[in-house]
Amino acid sequence: MQLYKNNAKTLLASSAVISWLLLLVYVLLTAESKLAGASAPGIVFPFLSNLLIVVFIVSVFLFQRLHTDMLKGIDFIGYLWNLFSKAGVAAYLSVALYLVYRVYINYAEVEYTLLLHVVYQINFGLLVLFLSKAFYIWRQLLLYHKNKFLQIAWDWFELLLGATLLLTLFNFDYTSYVFLPLLALMSFYILFLCTNLKWVAYLTFNNKSRSLVLLGAILLSCYIFLRFFFNMSANESLVIDFTEVGFLLLAMLFVGAYSLAAFLVSLFSLPTSSVFEQKSEDLLNFQRLSLSIQQGQSEAQVYDMLVESTIKASDASAAWFDIIRNSEPQVTHVLNINEGQIKSIRHMLQAYNIHNMDYINNNLGRNPGFRELAMPWKSMAILPIKSSKHLSGILYLLKDVEGGFDHETVNVLRTFTSQTTLTIENLRLVNESLQNERYKEELKIATQVQESLNPKTFPADSWFEISTHSVAAKEVGGDFYDFLQLSESRIAIIIGDVSGKGISAAFHMAQMKGIFHGLMQQDMAPSEFMKQANSALSRCLERTSFITSSLYIIDYRMQGFMFARAGHCHTLYYNSMMDDVFYFKTDGLGLGIIRDDKRYAAHIREMYYDYNPGDVMVIYTDGIVEARSPENEEYGEDRLQYMLKQTYHLEADDIKYAIINDVNDFTGPDNVYDDQTLLVIKFRPIQQNK
Amino acid sequence: MKITQEIKDNTVIMTLDGELDASSSVILDEELSDPEIMKYAKVLVNCQDLNYISSAGLGVFISHLQRFEDAQIKLIFYNMQDKVRNVFEILGLDLLMTIVSDYEEARTIANE
Repeated sequence: MQLYKNNAKTLLASSAVISWLLLLVYVLLTAESKLAGASAPGIVFPFLSNLLIVVFIVSVFLFQRLHTDMLKGIDFIGYLWNLFSKAGVAAYLSVALYLVYRVYINYAEVEYTLLLHVVYQINFGLLVLFLSKAFYIWRQLLLYHKNKFLQIAWDWFELLLGATLLLTLFNFDYTSYVFLPLLALMSFYILFLCTNLKWVAYLTFNNKSRSLVLLGAILLSCYIFLRFFFNMSANESLVIDFTEVGFLLLAMLFVGAYSLAAFLVSLFSLPTSSVFEQKSEDLLNFQRLSLSIQQGQSEAQVYDMLVESTIKASDASAAWFDIIRNSEPQVTHVLNINEGQIKSIRHMLQAYNIHNMDYINNNLGRNPGFRELAMPWKSMAILPIKSSKHLSGILYLLKDVEGGFDHETVNVLRTFTSQTTLTIENLRLVNESLQNERYKEELKIATQVQESLNPKTFPADSWFEISTHSVAAKEVGGDFYDFLQLSESRIAIIIGDVSGKGISAAFHMAQMKGIFHGLMQQDMAPSEFMKQANSALSRCLERTSFITSSLYIIDYRMQGFMFARAGHCHTLYYNSMMDDVFYFKTDGLGLGIIRDDKRYAAHIREMYYDYNPGDVMVIYTDGIVEARSPENEEYGEDRLQYMLKQTYHLEADDIKYAIINDVNDFTGPDNVYDDQTLLVIKFRPIQQNK
Repeated sequence: MKITQEIKDNTVIMTLDGELDASSSVILDEELSDPEIMKYAKVLVNCQDLNYISSAGLGVFISHLQRFEDAQIKLIFYNMQDKVRNVFEILGLDLLMTIVSDYEEARTIANE
């Protein structure tokens, strides 16, 4: 396609040059023969000259038709400049050429008719160039924002205009009565087309003034050409009078009329263009505001945009913007107003009890309070950025004229503020949901950490059974348990609960387990372990966090266990000898509460207990005893104690299931608010074969 | 959770009403952090309508305990429900904090 276009352009350019040269030769020859004597008018071939004219015109117009690019963007000034610099200049060139010729004639004092013919022919070429260029550039602008009707109207215009070349070709005189009405109709057609000037509306004030200059220059070009050719047509010696070519006249009419129309429309729309500029800028700013969410802009950037846009939209002479932080206003944007003035205006508004609300005053001078302040402003608008429940900021605009905030302006300003409110709300929602996502992710990690830290299997041994149960609540708590085989006959079991939730609880839990494994390698008594654990934790737990824990060291050979309780739930115990179920109610302070080692030592007790075969020990966290029924009642120690009374004779696993089922019956389904951990240990009779 | 404060005879009387869980303990922390409180030598906490206390709530009291002791401010809890008292006791806090049965007793101890 491009190749075809280039080939066609080359072909058209060469045919234009050849036809023009032939025309020149023909004119010179004819003129020569005319000079030689009127008696020999032998070589006047009007058809030949007309053919050459038509070929030249058609070639140049078609060339320009291919050459003119499609309209790109709305750089109309660029187009006008292009038109002026490439075509309009032709007129000035032709004037210059003619002047040079005249000066030369005056100087030489000889009439060079042949030279005049050359100048005339060159000017004809320039005219056609100018017309074709202008014609197709006007076409682009005329068809800006076209509809189908306009496109068809234009196509017909081009076709009809082209058809007028036939008049020239067959040497009809267009001024004859037959063709005059037709030509008059064409002129009306042209006038109709000249009403399509939509592009002018898109020019800004500055562009319009520049376009006026350019259009004026183009109009001048038209005038120069018209004047030159009509003056020359009076010259008797001319071989061809180009004013007789109807096509050129119509094309000139179109170019001239359209330039004039554009000039006048630009001129008269000049005073209103600032209004349209403002409106289109407002629209753009609205768009920017609503787009700011997608572009991930911050609240501060949104406020920047609001302040900038509203100042422009209202043409305010002074302004400031308050962001409301902890219900205290904080000035973030200031224009032409100082701290003291802001303060005194605020005071006055507070006195009138109109702060923080939508308020427009178009005549501040009538207000005695404001008059006293002696400030240069005469109207004020206060626009809060306020959603149904949240006041995020207040915009203050001041103008030095009365009635500065008319109905229209206020409407635009309110649209801005409500758009901003919406944007800010949306930004907050987006942030919240991101936060939620992050929180969920954190919980997932914490849950994984917690699950991976609790041992999956306990050592199976012949002298005791152990059964464990643990569920994490929706919000991760900090329950944990673990064990460590100290020697062949001794095992340490720890249970605990870290205060707080989420990832920090999971970390403290991991820390506590590290302390357990670290310290118990040295095989120490439970009370000593608690003291050292407290000392270690005091250095890393935050002030509001603490850990409750119980540590048991069971000695199979000694048939007894030692334990210490640090603020953890009391141990439930079934003694088979006495057939009694009870709690070990020992004293013991949670870890991390007192951070003074010596003081803490006074708060920890150690207990030794001999167990009997068949005894049952139930270790648990507060998620069990503080489980709640739908009626908000706590499960409690008593119910747990009762359950063991009913089930102590069962296997450890079955005791565990019985308790868990009872707790679940009590709370109802899906009602786990806290982690629940339960360990049931049952001591077996001594195996003789071991 | 509702927390109210009144000043009576150079004593702050703080009344806790409802459940002290993770979210409401933030409010409690703010109230206890108020530097105004440090102007008074005694803080009595009325726990009559405190129905539940979570570990977060306990954590707030624990974190202020040392500060109050250092400033020689007496922190006394009274009218505590049994189940709440049980939570304090299990954790061993009853030995660190003064928990008494009623307002008169709290007054007497405060004035010692």
